[in-house]
Order: sequence, then structure tokens, then C-alpha cells
Amino acid sequence: MLFSELYGAYYNCVADLLKIAVRRPVTSSDIVRISKAKGFAETALALQRAFREEEYKLIRKDGTTPVTKEPSMPLTTLQKMWLRSVTLDPRFMLFGETIEGLEDVPPLFTSDDYDVYDSYADGDPFTDPSYIENFRRVLDAVRNKKTLEIVSSSGRGRTGRIVFRPDMLEYSEKDDKFRAVGMCADGPRVVNINRIKSIADTDESVTRKPAPYKNDRKVTFTLRDTRNALERVMFHFSHLQKEVKRTGKSTYEVTLCYDKDDETELLIRLLSFGPMIRVTSPDAFIDLMRDRIRKQSVLFEN
Amino acid sequence: MPYSELIKNYDNIREYMREFYVYGFKSRDEYTNKSARSYDDSRRRIESWLLESMSFRNTSDGKTVFISMDSRQEGPNPLFKSWKAKSFTDGDITLHFILFDILEEASELTLKQITDSIDRYSEGFCEARVYDESTVRKKLREYEQEGLIVSRREGRTVYYKMCPKTPLPSKDLLRFFSEVMPCGVIGSFIEDKLDPSDPLFRFKHHYITGTMDSEVMLTIFTAMRENGILTVTTESRRGGTNTSELIPLKVKISSQGARQHLLAFSLKRARMISCRIDHITKISITGQTDLLPGARKKLQSMEKNIWGVTVGDHIEHVEFDVRYGRFEEHIPARLQREKRCGKVTVIEDGLARFEADVYDCSELIPWIRTFIGRIVRISFSNKRTEQQFRDDLTAMYSLYEGGPDAVQ
Repeated sequence: MLFSELYGAYYNCVADLLKIAVRRPVTSSDIVRISKAKGFAETALALQRAFREEEYKLIRKDGTTPVTKEPSMPLTTLQKMWLRSVTLDPRFMLFGETIEGLEDVPPLFTSDDYDVYDSYADGDPFTDPSYIENFRRVLDAVRNKKTLEIVSSSGRGRTGRIVFRPDMLEYSEKDDKFRAVGMCADGPRVVNINRIKSIADTDESVTRKPAPYKNDRKVTFTLRDTRNALERVMFHFSHLQKEVKRTGKSTYEVTLCYDKDDETELLIRLLSFGPMIRVTSPDAFIDLMRDRIRKQSVLFEN
Repeated sequence: MPYSELIKNYDNIREYMREFYVYGFKSRDEYTNKSARSYDDSRRRIESWLLESMSFRNTSDGKTVFISMDSRQEGPNPLFKSWKAKSFTDGDITLHFILFDILEEASELTLKQITDSIDRYSEGFCEARVYDESTVRKKLREYEQEGLIVSRREGRTVYYKMCPKTPLPSKDLLRFFSEVMPCGVIGSFIEDKLDPSDPLFRFKHHYITGTMDSEVMLTIFTAMRENGILTVTTESRRGGTNTSELIPLKVKISSQGARQHLLAFSLKRARMISCRIDHITKISITGQTDLLPGARKKLQSMEKNIWGVTVGDHIEHVEFDVRYGRFEEHIPARLQREKRCGKVTVIEDGLARFEADVYDCSELIPWIRTFIGRIVRISFSNKRTEQQFRDDLTAMYSLYEGGPDAVQ
């Protein structure tokens, strides 16, 4: 069963509190700190009351416990089955890990049971040994904040050398690709793992701070809910920060926040909804839409 | 019952979560099929779980509440938290930690030994909590079913012991697969056992709406594994419900539209059908079948004509040509990587053709529109679909070039 208290935030918080209580009395600030990390907004209050009123007979009023050992629960069968499915995924090899104790566990699902039907065909070669090696070098650099010297090719086939500190790995399910996001001496840089030709540690360092992801561009459009457009648009853009207002019986105003590097992609995604949406601001984005539609009109007239 | 941030039944919260996250424009009065109290309690709970991601707006219709986030910016999928809010009794949680404390070091114990050991845990509390043997037996059986405890019978005596512990993979591995694999919330449950650390991964084009359907998905995979027949109740867009018996064949997940479908063989209709997973309101395994391998083989033979999730009886043809410039080789490259079951041919320098034979060519229209500005010729065997495509283009032109609703 998936929805079970065994996996619940309260059980996790109490387990962490008992880990403390077997060593020393639990304090009120322990409850607040652990609830903040693993619980919800009202968890600390609920746990304090539960211990104070002895509802859970696990921690006494003085913060001590009758429990003698740090709690640790084995994995459930469901958790093991999910992990077994993970080990069958081609991306599992990238991490260079083995998970013991799953030999007799059936997978929860296999690649025969599902597919991501609209991801792009030129995804990364996850089973290629040199790709795996490059991925692990970058992952190690992210973990240990190392700087790397990387020779890689650009989208246009040019080869270049950079001194690069990867701060994070970004994965896109649609592209089925990993990219390293980080810093060079001259500013932020993104490196496709599959375009790395060679990689090595370097003593050179990049001192610039990591650049935070910015979704500070906005586009606003009106949406006419015909042919189920409302649902399609809302689901399609559900991963972006957005605001939706109803403006009429079946019309809406939608504002999306996006990263400026994704503008062309967003443009064609908005075009895909045809006349159900009409971009209303900013003017520059309206011009981009108008330009494409005008060009198309000319092509069909000829 | 006083208010609690925990809930007994996930179904009660599933639709609110979806409404707040996917749509986010409804005011309190518009949640007509629930009572005002149900709305208030659910809203307060979701606020409690997702505090940082909740936003509010006051409109003339009243206050609207919505979950506002960019999933590329977030750490772990915040919607996982909703699955960690199951309620329990005081007795459940107390017995849970006492049982594992007792079993932690013992090689194996009988029910009587376990029950006797529980008594000493009352020391220092004002009132002792007493657990009889049947309560303890029930809990041990429950944990045995979950795979936490194993039992062994010797004569009339049953011995219990804790299952061996599996070494956990790294937090990075768990974090990654929790986000990209079906039922990823299970990975998040495992991750909770580890200490928090800074995230090393972030995710672009990352849809998390399916999180609310994790239990439904789990039932589907269980049925597939056990050759089961599912009885599925779905809610239509117009509000009606439909119940049918299905052999589940494949889950189709979209990385571009956030929707998840089940392709299945309908026993009543004796044909393949496609069913939106978020529209499933009830699901259970109600039988067994030996038809699964054959039905899967049939589906496999149909895959070459499935563009998205539609399966049918007849095939439609679609083709279009796109023009691109000397420095626009990314256009035929796009066609190649996005063609799915279609075929791409470079007709001449700067002109490429896409063609496909599919069950429903209207499924391709949103994708074809992404080439607007480059399409020099288009043809659908379904002339109604073609006319719709052309009418839509005219309407788009009107929207931006002086029509009655045109942008100024």
C-alpha cells in the first residue's frame, strides 16, 4: 500500500527524535528543528502536544525514552521492488553503484510496462562506456566542487577547451539528455555531457559563485476554452510558474514565467495551440508570433 | 474530530491538489461538489504541506488559492509530501517503534515474548498503554505483508524476526530516479531515511502532475505483473462515470504534455482503448487473465501507427513539407529527432518532407503547428482535419493581423 503511515512524515520525525532520545533527553527545539526538516507546518505543535499529553508513549515529559536503540526499519517489499526497477533502467549504470539484496525481488515494473512516447530520438547514449566515464567525472566534480578542464564540441561541430566548474547536473526527460550547469571564468556555461570529448581535473579554479536559475521573463496570453484548450494548456505548461485568471465565461488570462534562453522553445510551444491562445504581452513576443504566422500565410498563398 | 494536517484517505485530497496545481483560478464557491468545510480543511492541509509553494490572489469572485512553482527551480518534487500525510492512531505509532526496538537485536521471538516485552516500555508514563496479543499479532501480520518482518512456524508456535536490512543507494541516485521513474514517490520514501543534502540534480521540462496518480499507477503495474484484470471507473469531462473491465497493456507517459494514459484491451468492447490515468476515480484488480501476452503482441504490432495515445480501427495519412535556409540545418534535425513513427525525407536542398500513417492524424496537429512559418505544403487523408488545420491558421492570422480580436 502506497498511502501508509509507515512512509509518513510523522513516523520519520519521531524516528529522528528517538535517535536523539536514546542518547540524551529530547528538547522542544529538537522537535521544532526536526519537524521543520521532515514534517509539515503544524507538525512541531502536534508532536509537542502528543509527547506532553503522553498520546505517543515513546518520549516522556522529561524528554527521555523507554526505547533503547536508534530506530531503523528495513525496506518494505514495495520499496525493494521499486529499487529493482531502477536497477533495470539504462541510466542506473551512470551512478556506478550496486544495490545488494534485490536478487530475488521482482521489479515493480519494467520497460515493457511503460514508455515515454514523445521524448526525442537523439537522447544521450547512457550505455556508452565513454559517456558513462564522462558522466561520472562530472558528477564527482559536482559532489566535490571540483574544477574540470573539458574539451567539447558545440552544436555547430566546433571543438573548444574550457575550464569549467559544474555546479549541477540538469536532466530533461523530453530531450533525454544530461547537461552540466556551471561556471567558467567568463560566466555561466552549460555543457552537454554527450558533447564532451575529453575531461580532466585541473588545478585552475573558477571563483565565481553559482548562477541561480532565473525565470524572470514573462509572457501573457488570453486563452479561449474551445476543444478542451483550457485543460491542454494548463497541463502543458504546468511545470512553469504561472498565474491564471478567469476573464469571461470561457476565457482566461494566463501569465507564464520563463528563462530567456528558452524563448524560442516557448514560442513554438505557444504556436502549437493555434487560435485558442493569443499572446497579449510583451510586444516583442507578439511580434515573434506575428512574424511566424505572417510567413506561413505567405507560404500558403504562393 | 478536531482538525489535523494528516488525512485518512488520499482520494479526498487528490482532486484539490490537481485543481490548485494545474489550474489555480477557482474561488472557494466554485468547488461545488464539496462542502465548504471540506474545502477549508483541504486547503489548510495543502497549505500546511506545501507552504512555500502556495500563493493567493483576491479577485471579484473571492480568494483563489493556487500552487505556483517552476519545477526546474524546485528541489525534490514538493507534491510527494502529500503522500506522507497518512493519519494513524496513537497506539499505531507507539507500537510501531516498540516492536522494532524489541526485534532489533533479538534473533527471533514468539508472540508471547514480544507482548511480554512491550510492558516494560510503559515505565515512566502516567498511564500504561496495554496491547493484547491479538493487537500485536495483527500488527505483526500487517508488517509481514509489507515485507518488514518474517515469521516461521514450529509446531503451534510462530517465531517472528525483522527482515534483513538492504544497504541503501546514494541520495543522488534516489533523488534522480524519484523524479524520473514512475511511482517516484517510493524513491522519495527511501530517501527520507537518509540525511538531507544539497541537490546535485535539477530537471527541465519536468512534469509532476502524475504524482497525485501514483496509487492508481501502482495498481496498474501490479495488474500487469500478475496478469490481472482491472475494473476501472473513469470520470468523463462532462461529469459522467464509466466502469469497464480492462487488461492493462502499457502506460504511455508524455514528456511534453504532462498526461499519462493506459493503453488496455477492453473486455466488453473487445478492442484496444486508451484511458487517461488522472481520470480514473476507482481501480481494483478483480480477476486473472491469460490473454495478456497475446494482447501485448497485438499492441506491439499497432505501435508503428500510434503517434500519441490513440488506437483505432483505421489508418489516416498525413504529410507536410518544410522549407529551411542554408544555416538552418537544425530544422531537418528537429524533424528527425521528433518524428516518432513518421518518416522524414530530404526532397532537395532546403526542403524536407515528413509523412506518417497513424490512427488519428489530429494528434499531430499541435506538433505540426510548431513549424508554422515554414510549411510549404500539407496534406491529410482526413479532409475534415485538413480543413480544421487551415481554418485555424486563418484564425491565427486574423488574431494578429487586424481581425476583430486582433492584438494591437
